[in-house]
Amino acid sequence: MLHCHYTTMNIPGNTSGTDVSVLERQQARMKWQQQQQEGLSNGNDHRFRARVEIKPDPDLQYEWPDFSDACQDQLIPPLMTDHNVKKRKTHEDYKQKAVSKENGVKDKKIKGCSDENSTETSLKEKPKVVETQKQEYIHVRARRGQATDSHSLAERVRREKISERMKYLQDLVPGCNKITGKAGMLDEIINYVQSLQKQVEFLSMKLATLQPRLDFDIDSLIMKEMFEIPAIGYSSEVANSTYFQVNSLLEMGNSPIDTMLRRSTGGPVSIPEAFVLSSCFNQMQPGVTWDGDLHNLYRMEIQQESTTIPFQPHKFTGSYEGSNLKMEL
Amino acid sequence: MSPPQQPSSTNPNSLKIRLTHRFLHNLNNLNKKRSNLDNTQIHQRYNRVKLAAYASMAHVVGSRRAWSRAILWKIRNRKVSTRHKRVDHKPTNHHHARSIKRRTTNHSNPKREYVDPNGNSGQEVKLRKLVPGVETMDACGLLDETADYIKCLATQVEVMRNLVDLFSTI
Repeated sequence: MLHCHYTTMNIPGNTSGTDVSVLERQQARMKWQQQQQEGLSNGNDHRFRARVEIKPDPDLQYEWPDFSDACQDQLIPPLMTDHNVKKRKTHEDYKQKAVSKENGVKDKKIKGCSDENSTETSLKEKPKVVETQKQEYIHVRARRGQATDSHSLAERVRREKISERMKYLQDLVPGCNKITGKAGMLDEIINYVQSLQKQVEFLSMKLATLQPRLDFDIDSLIMKEMFEIPAIGYSSEVANSTYFQVNSLLEMGNSPIDTMLRRSTGGPVSIPEAFVLSSCFNQMQPGVTWDGDLHNLYRMEIQQESTTIPFQPHKFTGSYEGSNLKMEL
Repeated sequence: MSPPQQPSSTNPNSLKIRLTHRFLHNLNNLNKKRSNLDNTQIHQRYNRVKLAAYASMAHVVGSRRAWSRAILWKIRNRKVSTRHKRVDHKPTNHHHARSIKRRTTNHSNPKREYVDPNGNSGQEVKLRKLVPGVETMDACGLLDETADYIKCLATQVEVMRNLVDLFSTI
């Protein structure tokens, strides 16, 4: 016979739950807490004033509980048999904490009716409630209906984790800076993963067609390269020495990849330019500086060899790349 | 003969280097083993290259991640099933091997409706299908795995692109 009602409290300046700043909420909370304690100290008559009446919120948002006089008589009497102020305070504190929960799932509201029954259990946790209330003060939001504190805490922590990961994903997926919201981000992520997988397919097809022409016997060379040339960042001296080495190994075919990779991974130059540089090294002079001229080299390379696939050496920029690749072939 | 493992595994540069080595290594093995297919059936070779790409990706990451474990497991099962195929040329065993393969590969990706309590059922289901090995993970772990998977995939794509570019110019 428990009724679930949700109340709304109008905090001045509070337009929507999510937009209210943390500070405003904190201030409102303090005010409410003070009012509550004043009400409690006034006596038994005000026992029910502190009762939180909750009404269904049509906006799908929770607002602060109303500190109204109308109370839930059906819910309270069986539980408030003893006029223990401490207990009541615990309950109030607990509900206050419960009240201050983040925007959550709506269906959890309904479980809130059992909240009343668990008041007694919350008594034991009184110091814990108060403590956690202070810790979680800023971050949690109106939630009537968590059976225990640990649940709401865990939920909040979980949501924080998820939002943290979404932010990290936002950095990974290019072009997602403007998208806010989980749904849009998920869409973008799905698209990105699909496009990456299609790229792998496409490139492996390309490699498969190229394979018979090439000698892949490079393991020994790779290992040699790996241990001879330590992976250092950019410096023109290192780059120059690499050029000489590359020149000597050019006829082998594929080892330049690794040297160039190691050189270029530390710097801003994209790898295709480095590769092209290595392949056209025997045509160019070794005294080429690393930084600015690679673009020129690349262009000249393209002009000289008509068989070169005009591959754009820009970084991968998202799903556009996939379609570009398809168009090229 | 694998290259030494570097401690900073999430560093994209080291990841790229290791991926390159591993991928080339796998391709090399591919070429050596199936040299008779050099001139035939590009499609078969394409499949093998794709497999080598994913295998190298999974091997570089190792068993740290659920998606890499799932890929390695699938590859292992596939190898077992192909071995069965080759040894027994009877149709029944062939069937058996194929069913084994299908059963085991579908084990990690059962086609079932997953309804998320948050109502994101459509998207999260899709994501779970795309990323291997995340079928039974919670949303938090799912996003984690997705991030790692995306990072590795992007690196793999870059490596492959560079290889293609290089091989096409030589």
